[in-house]
Amino acid sequence: MPTAASDELLTGSGGPPPIDPELPFGGGGPDGEGNNPPGWQRRTSLTGIVVLMCVSVMTFGSFLSAMVIRRGLGATNWGHTPMPVLLYWNTVSLLLSSVFLDTARRILRKGKRQEFTWLWGAGTFCGMAFVAGQFVAWYQLAHQGVYATTNPSAAFFYVLTWAHAAHVVGTAIPIVMVMVWALQFRLTPKRRTTVDAAAMFWHFLDVMWIGILLLYRYWA
Amino acid sequence: MEEVPVKIFTTSHVGIARQYFFLSLAAVLLGSVLSLYMRFHLTYPQKGEITPELYLSWLTLHGTVMVFFVLTLAPSGAFGNLVLPGQLGAKEMAFPVLNAWSFWVTLLSFLVLVASFLATGGGPLSGWTAYPPLSVVGAIAGPGEGLGQTLWFVSIAIFCVAQLLGAINFIVTVTDLRAPGMTLLRMPLTCWSWFVTAVLSLLSFAVLLPAGILILMDRLVGTSFFVPGGLLVGDMVIQHEGGSPLLWQHLFWFFGHPEVYIAILPGMGLVSHLLATFARRPVPGYRAMVWSTVAIAVLGMVVWGHHMFTSGLNPYSVMAFSVLTMVIGVPSTVKTLNWIGTVWGAKLRLNAPMLYCLGFVSIFVTGGLSGLVLGQAQLDTYFHDTYFVVAHFHLIMGVAALFGIFAATHYWFPLLFGRMMNDTLGKWHFYLTFVGAYAMFLPMHFAGFAGNPRRYADFTTFTFLGQVLTLQKGITHAAFFTGAVQLLFLYNLFHSISRGVKAKQNPWESTSIEWAGEPAVAEIFRGPYELGLYGERDYRMQNEGGEE
Repeated sequence: MPTAASDELLTGSGGPPPIDPELPFGGGGPDGEGNNPPGWQRRTSLTGIVVLMCVSVMTFGSFLSAMVIRRGLGATNWGHTPMPVLLYWNTVSLLLSSVFLDTARRILRKGKRQEFTWLWGAGTFCGMAFVAGQFVAWYQLAHQGVYATTNPSAAFFYVLTWAHAAHVVGTAIPIVMVMVWALQFRLTPKRRTTVDAAAMFWHFLDVMWIGILLLYRYWA
Repeated sequence: MEEVPVKIFTTSHVGIARQYFFLSLAAVLLGSVLSLYMRFHLTYPQKGEITPELYLSWLTLHGTVMVFFVLTLAPSGAFGNLVLPGQLGAKEMAFPVLNAWSFWVTLLSFLVLVASFLATGGGPLSGWTAYPPLSVVGAIAGPGEGLGQTLWFVSIAIFCVAQLLGAINFIVTVTDLRAPGMTLLRMPLTCWSWFVTAVLSLLSFAVLLPAGILILMDRLVGTSFFVPGGLLVGDMVIQHEGGSPLLWQHLFWFFGHPEVYIAILPGMGLVSHLLATFARRPVPGYRAMVWSTVAIAVLGMVVWGHHMFTSGLNPYSVMAFSVLTMVIGVPSTVKTLNWIGTVWGAKLRLNAPMLYCLGFVSIFVTGGLSGLVLGQAQLDTYFHDTYFVVAHFHLIMGVAALFGIFAATHYWFPLLFGRMMNDTLGKWHFYLTFVGAYAMFLPMHFAGFAGNPRRYADFTTFTFLGQVLTLQKGITHAAFFTGAVQLLFLYNLFHSISRGVKAKQNPWESTSIEWAGEPAVAEIFRGPYELGLYGERDYRMQNEGGEE
């Protein structure tokens, strides 16, 4: 081991002095042989989902800031988007699916696989119902003569709900995959990361959706 | 060094780094040939051969290809992928498959971009910034503004997706895959700069993507986000109302300014790393370098308005943007003084990569000083549409970043291809390029002083430009000289890939552990720059224990 004097000398060399190797902190990635420690993929996947959420927040934030500026330009032609009642039912469906998926996720940890399959199935179904409901709501709006070109309010409504629906459909892919694995009894421990990551992102999409809904209910 | 097998659909970070490297090499060749064509036409126009529209479409392709596919891809995509896992002590990036996806999506974006210039009607004319209303109203605005411009936006949107995937990968690799003992403040400055660059990419491309979607809706669906009402184009009233072209400028430059730092920050990290390695000195003030990188990134996110001084902003916001822009001079000066401090009085190993780094510092200072001029709204009002701006951004964003790329290519060539590049050829290439770059871009400042407008297709038809024509001809000659010099680099590159001297372990006697070789020894005991020590070896690698 280096002496105390050389430690001091090296402090100026661009970093803190050598630490006790018995207490590895920072990183926690690969071990001494270059192999990653157990569970690293779970860890990186969950961090990755959080970073992905940052991307989505920025994306929706840009739409929102564009909206604020566009509306502030002189509200003469801003317009108003009538909200189909169906959207509230869709909200219920989305929130229910989140509850189902999360209960399923928790129950899987206790090893109750059959209950998991039922609950996850219910969550998947409610999620699909949300997407279907959104399509019907767009159809209803179009039926009332509200198109993306009608006025800026409607344009942003379509942009935001399309972007949200694209996120939902993208997240539905791993959710359906988990469903298939569960039905085939192939839900191995490694795949449980997919369960957790998909559920996490799904809750995030709930929050986004409620934000869009409140925005249009009270402001736009 | 060990051989990495060549595979097309690879998920290996080295393989993907090579793919990015060759993609940006193809892009830089395309962009450079276009710039030579443009320079030639500017000063020696051939009658009737090239219309102003064609010139503008070349200008657009040159800018787009260089900014997106060279300056964004090479520093992070190629060298970040190549080196980051190794320097952190990881075997791979956090998501290898995602990494491969981000390359192939980038390639798709490149192909769509090239297609946009081969589309019916020709390539888009609205520059790499694609300001509306020109870029929105369709073919009525010009020959390339129909399908070509639509494809251009599609290409950029695809590129955003690829960059976002890449940024997620870089960030998670740094946060989760550092070796035990590799604390954040023990990461080499290269890793810091890739990390901060990835955060900037994440925040800025996540804004360009929705902006691109909105403008595509304006073009294809008929919404009015960016098109004002009552607009007359070619004697026709455009059927849009109430949108704001300024809104696009805000969204675009919120991406566009961080993009400048996405291009240059990896170069800054590399220069710090290499200057220390070849001066055999520790980086003085490592923490100051880390925090100045972070400060540049944070400030870089809040100065987008300085691109819009002549667009009609509120004077108060102009003042705020102007002051914030000046403030970036502070962390930049910290960096420059630090680089000078690293090499001051040291016994330098003046090989090719070191020379490129010294060239980087020189060009960075020259280009940065004109940034301080342009950051003042009063001066920018005069200079904004002149060659002064062209000189400024080509030096600081183009040449400086390219010197970083040249240095990285020479320095990490053993990791890319297992061999060394020829140092003598590298030195010749450096000196001639250095002279050529200044010969091109220094006189451009004077053309700007004289009020020479940019984006003109031909200087010879204007009497008021008669006084700068000789100067511009000189610039054209310098451009052809510099272009010819690049053949030296290409020869060196391709010759060294197959015939270069086989590289030995840690050929540059570096401290960072991408050179540690297999098996990746990944327990970190030391700071990143323990150089210039007494004894039989003047350096310690980061994974070397204390007992010897």
